[in-house]
Amino acid sequence: MIRNQKNFFIRCILHYYTRWIVGRHFHEILFNTIEVDSNRSILLIANHFSFWDSLILYIINLKLLKKKFHVMVREDTTLHLKHLKYGGAFSVNKKSKDMLESLDYAAGLLNDPQNLVLIFPQGKLYSNFVNDINFEKGVMRIMAKAEGKFQLIFAATFIQYFKHKKQSVTVYIKNEDCMGKGFDDLKNAYQKYYDSTKLQQTEIVI
Amino acid sequence: MIPGHSILLLCNHFSWWDGFFAGHLTQTYLHRDFHIMMQEDHLQKRMFFNRVGGFSINRKSKEVVTSLQYAAQLLDDPKNLVAVFPQGALESNHTEEINIERGIDYIVKKIKGDCQIIYYSAFIEYFESLKPSVYFHFLNCGTNHNFDYEKVKMLINSHHKKALKEQVNTLH
Repeated sequence: MIRNQKNFFIRCILHYYTRWIVGRHFHEILFNTIEVDSNRSILLIANHFSFWDSLILYIINLKLLKKKFHVMVREDTTLHLKHLKYGGAFSVNKKSKDMLESLDYAAGLLNDPQNLVLIFPQGKLYSNFVNDINFEKGVMRIMAKAEGKFQLIFAATFIQYFKHKKQSVTVYIKNEDCMGKGFDDLKNAYQKYYDSTKLQQTEIVI
Repeated sequence: MIPGHSILLLCNHFSWWDGFFAGHLTQTYLHRDFHIMMQEDHLQKRMFFNRVGGFSINRKSKEVVTSLQYAAQLLDDPKNLVAVFPQGALESNHTEEINIERGIDYIVKKIKGDCQIIYYSAFIEYFESLKPSVYFHFLNCGTNHNFDYEKVKMLINSHHKKALKEQVNTLH
């Protein structure tokens, strides 16, 4: 398992690079506001269709959630892009026993109220046009281990162009109550949220 | 593609780039002289498009018939291609229904020569790349001689839904 590492210098470069590259490639980033509990950490669950997802959510964290950003990334990606670990990425490998270590590590991060852990429960990149969100079970282990210490937030990201040359991104975020939720309840709750937000995006006519 | 036929290219309209996609496909794949129907106020702001195949339509004016007739006239010549956005507005890339405006029926009925009607659904995907990719799903809608508006509308909608499903299974 590859853990996130501290390096003030590289983290600063990644911070400014992310802000610059997102600002340059997108016409605008739209998101709704929610209440953030300062006494609890954040477990952020999001859909995954592009490399941009984490970068966009990094910006949302800067502007709205204001926590220390961590993201669970596939091990092959962290090996390929070695600098990611300095930006808060830690690895997970579904095929290895290390997976439990990664999940426990994520739960451990959630014990600190200043942290945010971003997870893509789909487990890999899917098309922008999926209707059914694949949900891996690992997230339940994290939630059980860190129960009561985190605030669960759902995020659904959509990228569209319409009349602009550069794409715009809309992120719908929502607080979700996770008390007493089983795997199926959580999966259905996210699916329902994704469906409703996708419908809002689909109905836009200009 | 049927040789000796002009092409009426119907495209889904979800972005600023759509006209450029159609132009690029015409050059690299369809090999015809490119023409494109644009909203009048948009064309007036960028009159240089007029020099590269753009002609206007204003749905609120009486001139709408002139624009449709002009499109049909262009399609009489087998060397030409006319790209039209049948939805008549910018709609989301996620939309499942493709609205085909009645004007398409009018254009096709007025064509005197041979014309093939082609539709494509374009979808934007990202996956691992920072730059987006665009995927085209083509559909041959037959020629102007056996054109039936309702039938083509149904055909395009079922093709679009099928394309959306195929898109989900795209390898990357």
